[in-house]
Amino acid sequence: MTREQALALVLRRLAALGRELGKPALEQADASTRLFGEAAALDSIGLVTLIADLEEDIRVATGKTVTLADEKAMSRLTSPFRRVDLLAEYVVEVANR
Amino acid sequence: MSLLTRISSYSAKPALAGGWGVVTYGELAALADEAARALAGLRLPGPAAVAVVGGHGPAATAWLLALEAAGHFAVPLAGNPAEHPARLAQVNAQWIVTAQGYDWSLLPRIDEASEHPLFAALRDRKAAGLVLFSSGTSGHPKAMVQDFSALLATYAERRPNGLPVLALLGFDHIGGLNTLFGCLAAGAPLVVPDANSPAVVAEAIARHRVAVLPASPTFLNLLLVSGEATAHDLSSLRVITYGTEPMPESLLLRLKTAFPRVRFIQTFGTSETGITRTESPVAGSTFLRFEDPQLEWKVIEDELWLRSRTQIAGYLNASNERFTVDGWFRTGDKVEQGPNGTLRVLGRMGEMINVGGEKLMPAEVESVVLGIPGVADCRVRGEPHPLTGQTVVVDVVALGADQEALRAAIRTACRERLARHKIPTRVTFVPSVSGERMKKMR
Repeated sequence: MTREQALALVLRRLAALGRELGKPALEQADASTRLFGEAAALDSIGLVTLIADLEEDIRVATGKTVTLADEKAMSRLTSPFRRVDLLAEYVVEVANR
Repeated sequence: MSLLTRISSYSAKPALAGGWGVVTYGELAALADEAARALAGLRLPGPAAVAVVGGHGPAATAWLLALEAAGHFAVPLAGNPAEHPARLAQVNAQWIVTAQGYDWSLLPRIDEASEHPLFAALRDRKAAGLVLFSSGTSGHPKAMVQDFSALLATYAERRPNGLPVLALLGFDHIGGLNTLFGCLAAGAPLVVPDANSPAVVAEAIARHRVAVLPASPTFLNLLLVSGEATAHDLSSLRVITYGTEPMPESLLLRLKTAFPRVRFIQTFGTSETGITRTESPVAGSTFLRFEDPQLEWKVIEDELWLRSRTQIAGYLNASNERFTVDGWFRTGDKVEQGPNGTLRVLGRMGEMINVGGEKLMPAEVESVVLGIPGVADCRVRGEPHPLTGQTVVVDVVALGADQEALRAAIRTACRERLARHKIPTRVTFVPSVSGERMKKMR
């Protein structure tokens, strides 16, 4: 999976989540959109849902069952869940692991 | 009047129908006499622990009655025989009756009589004992001892009626024994199916014109989704009693549509305190009200506490910490109180899922998911999650092949009807879900 593919995947999922949650701003998200933390687009349950959706997408795309949210990811200096671009890079890393 | 005297008085009425044919009350009383003579022939010095391995058949039933009448300690065993040796050892069983249909054999099992204070107390007041096993939380079964004579005495007031009842719950289960003794006391026929599959049970209901079906919500759901409910003539059904696990409201609604003439009655009980009758104050509601003068209840910190005249004397092999010194039993059931003394079981205290500090019970999510077309069954559970502590996961048994469409339908339905933290973040498809929604054996 390439970075572009992963970015498109994250943005697509985010837009779908935005429609489900009635948060149209999420449909306008881009690589620099903050996901979690202060002034973020999602609350914790929204982020958990996004992560579960992406795990399912990776499974469908690669046939691999992966876990994006684990203690190792949480303890990174720069959280992969902070911004859309960071999450996309992390998706690439996990999917190609 | 003792239960045995009552049974004799019903003489020519059918008592037990099953693979062995139909045995009448008179024949059952004669079988109990035969068992009593065999017991007397052993010339036992005092009460002994006697296991009865079988099902709701004539010989096994006769032996239970004979053991009670002679003041022994009866240990009914059914299910997987691989589990029996550990259970026999726990109660120091000294004799084993293996029963099938009308036939039985009696074998000694070399063991010292148990000196456990629970047995000694029963012996001292010349009461018979009944030992049942609860599944236990650690996977190691707990042996529960109760006063068998006191238990049977509670059926003495049962008014006679001839409505055929189906035996679905086990012979080694308080719910199954409650069905058996309730039936015998009323002089009604008990229909015992050869297997517990929806097809076999539905066929037995149609053939014997069964009027009363005591079942678990899980079984009733299977009966509907398997199509067996419509494949057989179940028009004889008048009453369906359900218990052992929470009833999802969506399932109750589907059942009422499928069986419009049937009255649905919720029963409630625990292996520790016995089965009790309840009333549903509003038809179709999952709220219940206890209607049993022998039972007291209260709710302490959302947990249901019970105290009953038929409760067990204690566990043989486990701490009795769930009983208070003044006789209350902490059920471990989380309940919600409604108006006018009603309550609703939400699930087990330990089943609560905590998502980022917000709590939910699996049953409320299961009720929504079960109501979605294409879902045959489901179980909701909490999984550890590094972001929110736990997250909600639902395992789904799908009826059709299009899992992606069903996944979307489940999430949409949950979003429409549930608070944010209750919505499953993950939907997994599984071939079957194990166990009952509520793990606790009732």
